Amino acid sequence: MNKFLLRTSGLLTTALLFIFTFIGNANLNAQDADAGEKLFKSNCASCHHPSKKVVGPALKGAQARWAEKSSTETLYDWVRNSQEVIKSGDAYAVSLFEEYGKSVMTAMPQLKNEDIDNIFAYVESYTDPAPVAAAGNEVAGGSEAQSESTPIYIWAIIIVGLIMLVSVVRAINRNLSRTVAEKNGEEGPKDNNLLDGIKDWIAHNRTWTAIIVLILVILGVQDIGASLFEVGVYTGYQPEQPIKFSHEIHAGQNAIDCNYCHSSARHSKHAGIPSANVCMNCHKAISQGPSGTEEIQKIYDAVGWDAEKGTYIEGYVEKPIQWVKVHNLPDHVYFNHSQHVTVGKVACEKCHGEVKELTVGKQNEPLTMGWCINCHRETKVQMEGSEYYDEIHSRLTDNLKEQYMKDGTITVSELGGIECSKCHY
Amino acid sequence: MANSKKYWRGVEELKNDADIIEASEKEFNEYAPVTEFLKEGKELANTSTSRRDFLKFLGFSTAAATLAACETPVIKSIPYVVKPEEVTPGIANWYASTFANGNDYASILVKTREGRPILIQGNELCPISKGGVNARINASVLSLYNTNRYKNPMMGGAESTWEAVDKAIVSALEKVTAKSGQVRFLTNSILSPTTKKLVGEFAGKVGNFKHVTYDAISYSGMLEANNKAFGKKVIPSYNFDKAKVIVSVGADFLGTWLNDVANTKQYIVNRNPDGEWMSKHYQFETVLTITGSKADVRVPVKPSEQGAVLAALYNKISGQNSGTEYSATIDKAAKDLMDNKGASLVVAGSNDENVQMIVNAINEKLGNYGKTVDINTADYLKQGTDAEFAALVKEMKDGKVDALFISGVDPSYSYPGFAEALAKVGTSVSFATMPSKTAEGCKFVCPDNHYLESWNDAMPKDGHYSICQPVISKLFNTRQMQDSLLKWTGNSKDYYTYLQESWSTDIFPTTGGISFTEFWNKSVHDGVAKAGMMAATPAPVAQAAPIVEGEAAATVTGVSAYVSQAIAAVGKAKSDGWEIELYQKVGIGDGADAANPWLQELPDAISKVTWDNYITMSLADVKEMGLNHKIGQEWPASTVTVTANGVTLEKVPVYPQPGQKSGTVGLALGYGQNVWKQQEPVGFNAYPMVSNKDGKVSYNTSVTIEADGGTYALAATQIHHTIMDRDSVVRETDINTYKTSEKDVYNPIHALAAHEEGENIKKPTSEFDLWEAHPVENVGHRWGMAIDLNACTGCGACVTACHLENNVPVVGKDEVRRGRDMHWMRIDRYYSSDTTKESGAEAGLGGIATYSAMEIPSDNPEVVFQPMMCQHCNHAPCETVCPVAATTHSNEGINQMTYNRCIGTRYCANNCPYKVRRFNWFNYMGYDKFEDVNPSQDDLGRMVLNPDVTVRARGVMEKCSLCVQRIQEGKLNAKKEGRKVKDGEIKTACASACPSNAITFGDLNDKETQAAKKSAHNRAYKVIEEVGTQPNMSYLLLVRNK
Repeated sequence: MNKFLLRTSGLLTTALLFIFTFIGNANLNAQDADAGEKLFKSNCASCHHPSKKVVGPALKGAQARWAEKSSTETLYDWVRNSQEVIKSGDAYAVSLFEEYGKSVMTAMPQLKNEDIDNIFAYVESYTDPAPVAAAGNEVAGGSEAQSESTPIYIWAIIIVGLIMLVSVVRAINRNLSRTVAEKNGEEGPKDNNLLDGIKDWIAHNRTWTAIIVLILVILGVQDIGASLFEVGVYTGYQPEQPIKFSHEIHAGQNAIDCNYCHSSARHSKHAGIPSANVCMNCHKAISQGPSGTEEIQKIYDAVGWDAEKGTYIEGYVEKPIQWVKVHNLPDHVYFNHSQHVTVGKVACEKCHGEVKELTVGKQNEPLTMGWCINCHRETKVQMEGSEYYDEIHSRLTDNLKEQYMKDGTITVSELGGIECSKCHY
Repeated sequence: MANSKKYWRGVEELKNDADIIEASEKEFNEYAPVTEFLKEGKELANTSTSRRDFLKFLGFSTAAATLAACETPVIKSIPYVVKPEEVTPGIANWYASTFANGNDYASILVKTREGRPILIQGNELCPISKGGVNARINASVLSLYNTNRYKNPMMGGAESTWEAVDKAIVSALEKVTAKSGQVRFLTNSILSPTTKKLVGEFAGKVGNFKHVTYDAISYSGMLEANNKAFGKKVIPSYNFDKAKVIVSVGADFLGTWLNDVANTKQYIVNRNPDGEWMSKHYQFETVLTITGSKADVRVPVKPSEQGAVLAALYNKISGQNSGTEYSATIDKAAKDLMDNKGASLVVAGSNDENVQMIVNAINEKLGNYGKTVDINTADYLKQGTDAEFAALVKEMKDGKVDALFISGVDPSYSYPGFAEALAKVGTSVSFATMPSKTAEGCKFVCPDNHYLESWNDAMPKDGHYSICQPVISKLFNTRQMQDSLLKWTGNSKDYYTYLQESWSTDIFPTTGGISFTEFWNKSVHDGVAKAGMMAATPAPVAQAAPIVEGEAAATVTGVSAYVSQAIAAVGKAKSDGWEIELYQKVGIGDGADAANPWLQELPDAISKVTWDNYITMSLADVKEMGLNHKIGQEWPASTVTVTANGVTLEKVPVYPQPGQKSGTVGLALGYGQNVWKQQEPVGFNAYPMVSNKDGKVSYNTSVTIEADGGTYALAATQIHHTIMDRDSVVRETDINTYKTSEKDVYNPIHALAAHEEGENIKKPTSEFDLWEAHPVENVGHRWGMAIDLNACTGCGACVTACHLENNVPVVGKDEVRRGRDMHWMRIDRYYSSDTTKESGAEAGLGGIATYSAMEIPSDNPEVVFQPMMCQHCNHAPCETVCPVAATTHSNEGINQMTYNRCIGTRYCANNCPYKVRRFNWFNYMGYDKFEDVNPSQDDLGRMVLNPDVTVRARGVMEKCSLCVQRIQEGKLNAKKEGRKVKDGEIKTACASACPSNAITFGDLNDKETQAAKKSAHNRAYKVIEEVGTQPNMSYLLLVRNK
């Protein structure tokens, strides 16, 4: 199924790339739309959108507008430092400044003319993804559905077909031999069914039967045992969330620090799911994601933000977002994020895996006590520069120090990190 | 030959009656309505579900349920939409506030988690309560979550809306004003100056208005005496910390008398035998109180003799003869007082004006005014006078009161005759938060907010201000009393604005220095503010010339003019037969928060009885009356009929109380009310027995007691009273021995005989090891405590604090009686006995007779309080017997209890020499036996649980964890900041609650900590050290100043 999907999406990408390249080549004299996209996303995207008014104006057609009302050269200067252009008294620049509520555009002196050309190349080549994305989704969804069900389907058909084939062949064979036998005046083979056949086989091959039964029993017991250990372990749990939030886009592509949204991980036992006002820090400006506006609109519905007017709706009754908790510890376990993040300096990925590559939050580790304890046994205590640990270390007797330092490190468990009441109270 | 005889079962069978034939064919003679039972017969026949199908469905659904249980539970996690800046989920916020309910005052810190208040601690910035709280105050957080609270305003007994109630009350007030009718405002003693100001404004709007203050426990006698003597109807401030000699006559100043928290904080300063001097404390009292237990000399006296004792003391000090049966002690006390003029203090608990006048005279003679007694700094805790309240009740009875507003008091419960008078009031409005007898008798109930939902202020003493701020948004549709008043006076402001404005005009000008905003923010943050006197002091008396030491001539004549009269008056107080003293228990107080199951489950400080009040009687009297003198699980108390003040209580249990004056009995006030969701009142309401003659309230009177032959089960947590001459549980000495002897004399170490290198020697128990030792020193931390028996007053604030902090379940009276109370810490109380091993041998008693005699406490015993919790032994006997290693030792010295590993064998509890382990016999959070008493069975009551502590399930053992959640939090804070753990930074719940600083917690491996120093003190010993448990808890032995 994956191959099919890959092939489809590969084709799609190639086609899109081809189209973009073609458009780019045709319209804009080999300016690099790809390089422009990168520059746009890192420098402009927080305030501009190619085809929509956000904080600043939509950039599509900006070059033409400037060329008409001012000059292309002024546009370059404007991008690098808009305030100077305004000071110089350029009429169009001043009118733009007035129109957008005198909000000052960040100066970007590092951009060269070619860079700016590339950005506009990207902007002009940009087509609104909403219909494309929707169509793409349909296609992808359709193909996914097909590719998912195909093998089971096929296998079922094949197996049923084979069984039918075997029975038909058997029946033909029996009929033929009966006919032959009748012709010869002999008694035909008995009208034997499959069950009797198996019984017959068992009666004649007792050793084999015993071996097979033994193997089956061993496999069964092992399987039951293994599954009992899995009770309450939800590795890979990846529930559907009310918003199709993608860690891949936020932490991966945009490289937002985990602690920006999960800010209480440094201070509290809870990592904390960001409140909607944290989302709004960025999403006031970014109202559209790769799949359109629908998902981000859900944040706006929670806080009461009017994306059209760019204001909060007065007297709006806030609707909290009901996320589904992914990592659930039993009530009798005390776990503190700040202990691990701030004191232990454990990277988030250590327990949560490569979240940057995940679209939907997923439980990466089993979260069993054995898993915790293993880590506590292996992990070195971050003692450097902490007066707390200097003090604790200085209190240890020489023989204890020696014992602990045998392997060259003091691990969490050696300082009592696997004792019951460190986590259970 | 075969017998061919035929027998019939009756004539009917012989006759072959048709009915009989039919009946004989049936298996059961009577008609069995099976088909009716299974609904209509037809339906059953027509149904497609056969028995087999039913079983199939049953099996399938069981299997399906099992499978479904294996599926991942979906747990929602709902963040704030807009997170308040100061809230971080998982981190507690602390707010300063004030507790003032007319009976107690303390500046407090409230711990909130995710917006829910869960714990109350004392505020150390408060110069009055100094970081102390008592059990009544720290348990008050639960009253916020009481489901019985009024959820809406009530009109005529039915729920109504604020609009309707406001309209009705305003129009009623208009009518009253129009006909210039009488309006009365009845409250408890209001400490809030702003509230008083507002009441004054309300008065201006309604015409004939009077504000009457009523205190369920009246201090009217003291107010009147001070009024006569000094022209100030106030209670003075006391300085117990400056008194070298304290004589208290019937005042339980460490438990229930006037600002007991502040008194304890002061008193305990000079009870340290290592200090420069130790105060000497004489106590004359009827019922044994915790104050009497701490006294160096305690004399049981009848209530009617209290005046005479003080008169004798006054006479002796004046150079005359004391001449009573207590002369010997009185003379000694008088001598000590005279030797410490200006550094002594005499107080009395009586509500008799004459008795208080004698006290004033004595303190005056001793030159204590301006030193240990400060009449210029008034204490506003109690302001009600009996005459004023009696006048109000009379007015009401005569139908002269047209409108009555009642706030903070329940006189229908505590004042006989009030309920009938209330019925004659035209418009009655109650501001009660919970249904009470008074509120139910009122036409309107305008439910006030809980104090944790309110803005307010308080002026407990002149110049001391504190702020009460809300720590949670209103739970119900209630409205603060002050907001109601503002509304009815047509003021559109809310009380918060009013309060701030009032502070900016009245209190701020006297502080100076900073801007008002700064001043206000700092006051709210600190909870307290110090300022000069307000422009308009709301003290209920006219100003009089301040009494300064040396120039008190004018007032001396004032006092001496009255004293002879007073002495003559108390001289008349003679009584034959039984006398009753209506006292208060430390946990229940005046009964304002008696609905709190934590307070009911808190054992009485002296008797250790829970969930009841009872007649206390001396052992000799109990025996003489032929009543049960041994009380326990299988031994119920005898009951008696008690008649006093024309009121009869039947079937009241009798508790034999050592230290009770023979010929007197005691009965606690505040009972007879419903607790939590219980429908039956707990105990007996003793308020109707309070005598009220000529508008003078007295808490003691003559009484008749008659045995009725009945029995009544009492639930006591301690039924063994003496230490049987052992010296390893509690140790004590007297100050002379302590000051002049070596440690071996008063605090010898336990040594065991050993045979080493051919010689018989004695080795200290600590050197014997049965098992491999846990690393104790030279590891990281080792947490431990030092508990000073000299400081512990037995008040029980630690027990309730532990209850709150650690989610300890409430189990109710029946379970406590079976010895299944769940308190992680208890306060053991031991009485001295007249018999010792030596005295028994001298008297020729045999071994068993001696031991039996040693079990009997003295008539007037010396008392020791010993807080007892898990000792966190380094050689813990519990750890070695657990078959599943559910209880283990940490390398920080903590004996850890792991609930999820425990399988409930209870071997550990069996093996614990301190008996501090508690077993969850039931699912207290769910089993319906505990529905009425356990707050955790209720969605609202559950809000008070500490989210950092596991709620234990049935069948597991639990015990003191040394507040490991606080230790972990403290360590984590230190680690985050990269610094050492500071001494005093981590405190267990009991240590932080203790008003007498008896419990010191700390790291014993850091030799600089207070706990380590105290553990190494000469007075320090370990309880039953000889069994070799090597606890981390040390006790500092008791030193009596005798």
